[in-house]
Amino acid sequence: MLEISIFTILALFILGGSIVMIINRQTLFSAFGFLVAMIGLAGMFALLDSRFLALAQIMVSVGAVVVLSMLTILTINAKPENLPLESNKYKWILFSTILVLPITLLIYRSTTALYQSFSTMEPISSKIVGKLLFSNWVLPFEIVSILLLTAMVGAIVIARNNNTKIDHPETEENA
Amino acid sequence: MTPDMFFLLASVLFSIGLVGLVSRRNLFVLYMSLELMLSAVNLLLATFSKVLGDASGSVIALLIIAVIAAEAALFLAMIIHLYRTHRTVDSDSFNKLRERV
Repeated sequence: MLEISIFTILALFILGGSIVMIINRQTLFSAFGFLVAMIGLAGMFALLDSRFLALAQIMVSVGAVVVLSMLTILTINAKPENLPLESNKYKWILFSTILVLPITLLIYRSTTALYQSFSTMEPISSKIVGKLLFSNWVLPFEIVSILLLTAMVGAIVIARNNNTKIDHPETEENA
Repeated sequence: MTPDMFFLLASVLFSIGLVGLVSRRNLFVLYMSLELMLSAVNLLLATFSKVLGDASGSVIALLIIAVIAAEAALFLAMIIHLYRTHRTVDSDSFNKLRERV
């Protein structure tokens, strides 16, 4: 009973946060909704007894990804007139909800048809996860490390300002 | 507590992300919707890991979290670059590669 009430509260947090994220026009408020949804998801992982996963979700998704996106939003600091207008946003959201609803039902039906109950109530300990990560899953682990390195280099290259005209417009005019 | 509730939550979360991806034009909201869809898959994997009593699902979810971090870095760098060149975050205005015949 306690688990069900915890689940309900966390699900309300997650769904409310994600709906706020979809609906809001101000980007920073959507980022706050996203933050609430991510924290709720970490609680959901903890409820599923995946302790290391909950920790990783808190550290990476909440601590790194959301904070990085909030910093980017604040750096860009787009004025309300620079944001897209989206005058009939709610109409589009309603329309695409109706379109997406069969996909939701499909995912739900196909997943619930597989398993009806939890087979074990033992927590998935960090020890087992670490052993699996470095025995069966060591090749994907190494590939992910290469992917992270490539993403870091790519992010630096993409975001670098190599157009010097933007940096010094007045020197261009003087010359 | 049954797996059905987790499956329902994951599918609804995935659909909310899909709706945001389809119906919004702000680049940041598109990015966060993508992340939400990936996180819904993560929740599904964790649920299956618990259902089967197998920790491999948790390991895959961990790897997906790393992929989420890589995707965030690249997407935010691209948003900064696009804002620097176009002065907007409207995804409809990036049409440089459109066919012009």
